[in-house]
Amino acid sequence: MIQRIILACLLGISGALTPATSACAQASTGIRGTVVLAIPADVSVPVPVVGLPYTHVADVTDQLFLRLGFLKSSFRTVGDEALTPMLARSWRRVDSLTLAFELDPRATWHDGAPVTTHDVMFTWRLMVNPAVGTDHTVIEPIAGIDSTGARTFRVRFRRTFAEQLYLIGFNLQPLPAHLLERIAVDSITTSGYAAQPVGNGPFRFERRVPGEFVELRANSAFFLGTPTIGRVVFRVIPDPAARLNLLLSGELDVLEYVPPTAMPQVRAKRDLRVVTFMSNLVLYGRFNTRAADDTARAHPVLGDRAVREALVSALDRGVMAQRIYGRNASVPGAVQSVSWSWIRPVRGTAGAASRAKVRAALANAGWRDRDGDGILDRNGVPLRVGILYPQTSAVRNDFALQMQAMWRAVGIDAHLERLPGPVVAERLNAGRFDVEMGSVNQDASPMSLTQSWSCASAREARSSNKARWCNPEFDRLLANAMIDKDPVPGYRAALAHMARETPAAFLAAPYNNIALHSRFENVQVWPVKSWTSLWQWRVRRGAELPRDR
Amino acid sequence: MTGWLARRSVDAVISAAVAILLLVALVHIMPGDPLAVILGDRPADAATVARLRERYGIDRSLPQALGDFARGVVRGDLGIALSEQRPVTTVLSDHVGPTLLLGSLTLLINFTVGLALGLWWALHPETLRSRVMSAATVVGYALPTFAIGMVLVWIFAVQLGWLPAAGSSDPLLAADAPLSRVLLDRLAHLVLPLAAMVTATIAVPIRQQRSAALAVAAQPWVRAARARGLSPAVVAWRHCWRPALTPIVTLLGLWLPMLVSGAVLVESVFAWPGLGTLLAEATLNRDVPLVIGAGLLLVVAVQLGSLLADVLYRIVDPAQREL
Repeated sequence: MIQRIILACLLGISGALTPATSACAQASTGIRGTVVLAIPADVSVPVPVVGLPYTHVADVTDQLFLRLGFLKSSFRTVGDEALTPMLARSWRRVDSLTLAFELDPRATWHDGAPVTTHDVMFTWRLMVNPAVGTDHTVIEPIAGIDSTGARTFRVRFRRTFAEQLYLIGFNLQPLPAHLLERIAVDSITTSGYAAQPVGNGPFRFERRVPGEFVELRANSAFFLGTPTIGRVVFRVIPDPAARLNLLLSGELDVLEYVPPTAMPQVRAKRDLRVVTFMSNLVLYGRFNTRAADDTARAHPVLGDRAVREALVSALDRGVMAQRIYGRNASVPGAVQSVSWSWIRPVRGTAGAASRAKVRAALANAGWRDRDGDGILDRNGVPLRVGILYPQTSAVRNDFALQMQAMWRAVGIDAHLERLPGPVVAERLNAGRFDVEMGSVNQDASPMSLTQSWSCASAREARSSNKARWCNPEFDRLLANAMIDKDPVPGYRAALAHMARETPAAFLAAPYNNIALHSRFENVQVWPVKSWTSLWQWRVRRGAELPRDR
Repeated sequence: MTGWLARRSVDAVISAAVAILLLVALVHIMPGDPLAVILGDRPADAATVARLRERYGIDRSLPQALGDFARGVVRGDLGIALSEQRPVTTVLSDHVGPTLLLGSLTLLINFTVGLALGLWWALHPETLRSRVMSAATVVGYALPTFAIGMVLVWIFAVQLGWLPAAGSSDPLLAADAPLSRVLLDRLAHLVLPLAAMVTATIAVPIRQQRSAALAVAAQPWVRAARARGLSPAVVAWRHCWRPALTPIVTLLGLWLPMLVSGAVLVESVFAWPGLGTLLAEATLNRDVPLVIGAGLLLVVAVQLGSLLADVLYRIVDPAQREL
């Protein structure tokens, strides 16, 4: 009896009774290879548009759902040649405000139904529904989508800009209307579809064990080519140390952003190799330029550009970045990740100015140590800044600690405000902070700078421009770049202007050091949507592991 | 006994209701923006924010929230978890199994092996083995659980490759694998987290049992039993063990909620998909419906643990029955 109870308990507990599906069907297709990756949190709704807006969710959904097109290897987002066709077979410009698309007639959903314009129209209606919460900077420039046939449609834009194709082609991932249109919008995430989604990508959904993993299987009928990887498993491993352990024990095939401290252990494993890819990550300490209690007024300390410049010059950003990323990071002059290298990088000054120079700059702005307590003051008010960041981020904590030490060395009373994420979000939205120790996974297009650094975004209640930095000249340069046929010089000018205005201390633009099992070939990792090419990876003949067969 | 149990149960229900009311009120006033988990870094206009707040029920006043919660409990609907976009009841049921498995086995080992070792230690106070046990329990108790977990993983998973490093099952095992393989896989994944949990916690029942047994051993009836020439085993079992159980029952009552609350650090180190990390994440994310749902589960567990401890008191200590 006891044995039976233990048996039932062990079986029931971890979802072992998940119904067997067509997993074995793959064996006959000749597709080999399994890739095991780690994600930091569960993906309970692996469906784009309605799922949560996080990178790890997109890591999974990008295997299941195609975009209209994907970026070319240059990562340039400008012009009508920026994308490689995926779900859309072709597109053509109708006029400066209209693009016409044709879907690939070979494209089908995993249940065999064809992908049609009806799916595109349905998805667009879903995106503009406020209950979904789509990024409004993606939908705002689009005036509408018109159906022109079973597989053709036209996208109308509100204004002319050079990245129209990128905006719609990269951001629209059609969902199957025939499976979803009878479900109320609010119920999609709790529906049976969300638990067993049907996509149109190189992999189809196999199963999910909550809190443990998501398993995908190759879609052997994929119209762009048969995947050379048969199975992808995303394991839910929230703790970075546990992820590293899994890699070292051979249970994980790939690990992103391997910290320099773990490199010796990784390199010691003969079946692992480290490959460096571009990344879209930038870390910064963003200065709040507006007063906390009245955003109409400038911040009493950080509203002054001279103070901001002095604060940045007090930081040895080269040392900071090296301590955390080793040699695999550069110090950007503006908010520019490595993935934006197609715009010539605007470099920052890595080293710090001398303490005397920083103190002199601050003294010019009125900050001197008048009472001899080691802290600069002005009109009896000490120069005090809080560094706000979420308690879960170890990297931001490392940066914040260094920032605090370097600022204290020049007489700035810097204190750490390491708080739960939602509290940080609440304070950022309310403007109640001095310096946000933040990071951003940049969008592929510099057009996204309007979300976080423009005057328009500074006026919005809940925009990404938490520091409410507003610089009309930057806006002008950015706007000009966006409508220019070749926006690259314009983007560079805008970023260079940002570097001069110092809205933030831009700390590091790291590369992505990926440790992966050496049996994989044809590996390509993208700075945005990292695993888009996973279906084209291959397992080297003769190097297969039991899990590949 | 029946009348006492009925009165005690009513007390438990009232206490649970008060605790839940307090929990809902505290969560309601907790600082932080619950929408942060839904929106991430995405900018959102006022209409979207208002619609999302309404959809997830985070736009309501405290009285409304309490009313909605009470109605939801009656219907078995605890709302939608923001961080999972699924019903709270579904999320909790997904995670309660692994927590119950790990927690119940930990308690089982602690309150069988631990008690036996404690009793043995009390009866053999001055031997070399008892001194070794003393040192071992101090070390086990002093070491942080996550450190024990990390060391175990490093030795048995990374270096030796004998056991899996994380998770509660092998994702590469086919869904239709034979039962024997599934069982072996589950057991293999259980060994290290269970070892970490037991190593970190077993010192308490061992030492409690030892202290209680030593106190009882000094009682006149134990000396009388020895004087009557009874064997040490009979003295230990019949005359020492049962009276020494009272403090252990208290301990058991306090530890029972652990079955539900999980062990955050062990779950984190071993990526064990239990309730502990889920609740910690939900709190950090201000996932209000999930925090309240998990809180409800905990309150019920605490009350049940307390009730069970009271019942056990009356079984092990006849004097309690007259109160």
